[in-house]
Amino acid sequence: MTPYLLSELASCDAWEITETRTEGWEFYFIRHQLDQHRVREVTHTDLTVYTKSSDGKYLGSASCEIQETASEDEVRSAVSMLKSQASLVRNPFFELRTPMEIQADNASLPDIQTMAGDFIRTMQTVKETEDADINSYEIFVNLRTRHYMNSSGIDLTETFPDSMIEVIVNAREGEHEIELYRNYTSGTCDPETLRRELEDTLRFGRDRLHTVPTPALEKTDLVLSTSAALEVYNYFISRMNVSMKYQRISDWEIGQTVTGSPLTITALRTLNNSSGNHAFDREGAPVRDLDIIRDGKACAYFGSKQFSDYLGLTGTFTPGNFRAEGGTADEDELRSGDCLEVVEFSDFQIDPMTGDIAGEIRLGYLHRGGSVQIVSGGSVSGSMLESGLSFSSALRQYDTRLIPSLTRLSGIHVTGFEAH
Amino acid sequence: MNAPFSSYLASIADCMKAVIHGLAPMYDYVSILSTDTTGWSIRIGQRARSVSNNTMTTERGNVIRVCRDGLYGEYAFNTFDPSDPDAIVRRADQALSAQLALLKATRTAAYTTPVLPDESCTLFVEFPCTSLPETADQGELISRMTRLSDLGMEKGNSLVDCRVSFQSTHVSKMFLSENRDLRQSYVFSEGSVIPIAVQNGKSAYTHLSVAEREGPDLFSQLEGKLEEALQVVQDVMDAGRVVPGEYEIITMPEITGLIAHEAFGHGVEMDMFVKNRALGSSYIGKRVASDLVTMHEGASCAVNVTSFAFDDEGTLAGDVTEIDHGILRSGICDALAALRLGTQPTGNGKRQNFEHKVYTRMTNTLFDSGTSTLDEMIASVRHGYLLKGVQSGMEDPKHWGIQCLIERGYEIRDGKLTGKVVSPLIMTGYVPDLLGNISMVSGDREVFGSGGCGKGYKEFVKVADGGPCLKTLALLG
Repeated sequence: MTPYLLSELASCDAWEITETRTEGWEFYFIRHQLDQHRVREVTHTDLTVYTKSSDGKYLGSASCEIQETASEDEVRSAVSMLKSQASLVRNPFFELRTPMEIQADNASLPDIQTMAGDFIRTMQTVKETEDADINSYEIFVNLRTRHYMNSSGIDLTETFPDSMIEVIVNAREGEHEIELYRNYTSGTCDPETLRRELEDTLRFGRDRLHTVPTPALEKTDLVLSTSAALEVYNYFISRMNVSMKYQRISDWEIGQTVTGSPLTITALRTLNNSSGNHAFDREGAPVRDLDIIRDGKACAYFGSKQFSDYLGLTGTFTPGNFRAEGGTADEDELRSGDCLEVVEFSDFQIDPMTGDIAGEIRLGYLHRGGSVQIVSGGSVSGSMLESGLSFSSALRQYDTRLIPSLTRLSGIHVTGFEAH
Repeated sequence: MNAPFSSYLASIADCMKAVIHGLAPMYDYVSILSTDTTGWSIRIGQRARSVSNNTMTTERGNVIRVCRDGLYGEYAFNTFDPSDPDAIVRRADQALSAQLALLKATRTAAYTTPVLPDESCTLFVEFPCTSLPETADQGELISRMTRLSDLGMEKGNSLVDCRVSFQSTHVSKMFLSENRDLRQSYVFSEGSVIPIAVQNGKSAYTHLSVAEREGPDLFSQLEGKLEEALQVVQDVMDAGRVVPGEYEIITMPEITGLIAHEAFGHGVEMDMFVKNRALGSSYIGKRVASDLVTMHEGASCAVNVTSFAFDDEGTLAGDVTEIDHGILRSGICDALAALRLGTQPTGNGKRQNFEHKVYTRMTNTLFDSGTSTLDEMIASVRHGYLLKGVQSGMEDPKHWGIQCLIERGYEIRDGKLTGKVVSPLIMTGYVPDLLGNISMVSGDREVFGSGGCGKGYKEFVKVADGGPCLKTLALLG
């Protein structure tokens, strides 16, 4: 942080600073040969300045990045500009968060060489075959140190790892070759999980070679067993955010039944090898375990101090991880009867504002009359407002989310190739 | 006036040249891209307002690209002492050498890529504009945005909010190597009006946008979009669901742009050819669309948010004819992929920002105009939909699939609009079928630059796309 910044901020009504230092290593492979390697050594200092109106009813804010190379004059000028800009913004008054006890995370940190080396070695040992292999992959590992301060006296620092690997898988038969795309995020490399995920993907790839066009089905049940299911649970999570509530996008009330299923969603302080394990959120609030939906009923909002204050809520925070659970069925039960299990979409989406569901099918398993057909093409569409939801008791982790391993939505339209 | 080049970048140019000089004895190739992009973003709603001096593309930093023994590496940084270039040289070399040690320990094999040519070139471009973000009267703009939001609430039906957002960005980039000194600056602005309605538990919203390589004066165009936005959100609220199936469709220019982008924009990014990830590589010189289809791509083939003078690798802006009367002629290519493929770069090497790698990316991707009128096109449809409003899209270059999420469709029966609206729609299909079935193309054309584009699910950059109205066949669900 530039040495002049704190002294310049003394004249502001309130302020927040988040300084993030990142050491990042990146490796780009085609097949298993290195194409490029990159290093990032960067620091970003984000400043928000608040200006109170003369009658005390309003608190405006403005933010900017203070460049590490900024001179004393540039810092002074930036703070002055932010004070002026903030005075133009009239939001109802609220208080910044104040210091609270934070439970430090004592987990030891890996070094960046070890993180990167684990990914490289794991990718070298994935079992490939002549008909299904890895086309290319990109490895990103970061060690970040986040330092948060505000004018109410919070001064917190934590260091954490985060990683991402993008993998393209090919499968082929003769001249016919297909690809599947995967993007995994995590804290550090978990070799066993990554290898298992990729071997599943290689199997999906072989199946995709033998698909038939998806038939038109009118309405059917959609089964989700891959990361597309995250959209379902993120829909519920986003509608419990104070921002959605205060801005009247979500009309869900505490105690209201938001799904007929016994769904419980819990904010979690830590989740194994998650990139979202933080002792404090972006405003310096301590993160803890908290049910936000219990047995299908809304029970607690989460999110920023600003919108929490407007709603008269205390003790809120922004979690980094969530667990969704409450199902009683096993996977075989959820796959029983007629349904379409889609394991690969172009881009499956559920609009958190409208609940609209849409996605193009790249690979699906159509269960009809006791037989299974492998299909691709066409699309699914529907609405969370009209679909019934059921899910498995078994759970599966996708970085910051621990969700049912199988999710079933009823009443989904399938646009296929026999409709015309 | 012209958008002035960053005085900060000018002040560090000598330092960066000294870094290149310091690294040159150790490497076969050295270049540095330095960026200083400033801007602001204002969001006004009935319930919350904000001002930020960040936009999607604001950044300040540097990335060194080096090549030794055929292996390319990069070092991105933003903390340094401009009076001590030797320290930068040491840090970059140490960091990259540490990675090489790991690669040796893991017995990682590497590709050998030729050394990039470094032909002599000096360029200094300050693109013209009518206003600058740094001198805008933000107080007046906030008042106008607030009035627009209030007017929307007054006139709209069942609105819970009418959000107005506007942002303006001033880009300055400097590319230096032993023989090249390229400097450019330009401004672009974008804005949206977003009415949000809730009625009987159902939510609906839309976003009507403006975007151009212009300064904050562009806001006046957004003020003219309110009435249309309010009508659209009512249409979406009242809309029914489409009966899934194949239909005759007419795409308005924003949907045409989405098809251009997803179908043959991503499909001919030639860094995908290097990995054998795009069917397009085997279709050069072959028919991929109807004879009515001609498509261009390049920073210099239109003036919009990504119309620059040179790309992030120091290649000058281009204008590539990708499809000529239905025949696939060429892809677009970054400099390193061009070396691998034995072809020429096209000025499409772009980074999300200085911290990110270069990939082959789109700039302006546009269908050429035809000769029909929209009325003639509607009159020719027996049963189908006029498609308007982009939500999102996803590419599939390996299989030439296409997914477009479209906001709304207006039913056409027996050559006439019936007034019935369906929303939302997912349009899917096989790209050569979709483009091969294009039977009419309108004589006008529009370009849209309000969106961003990812490669897979990351690497977000500004792009623009567009074209005329098209008539074709597609699956709608």
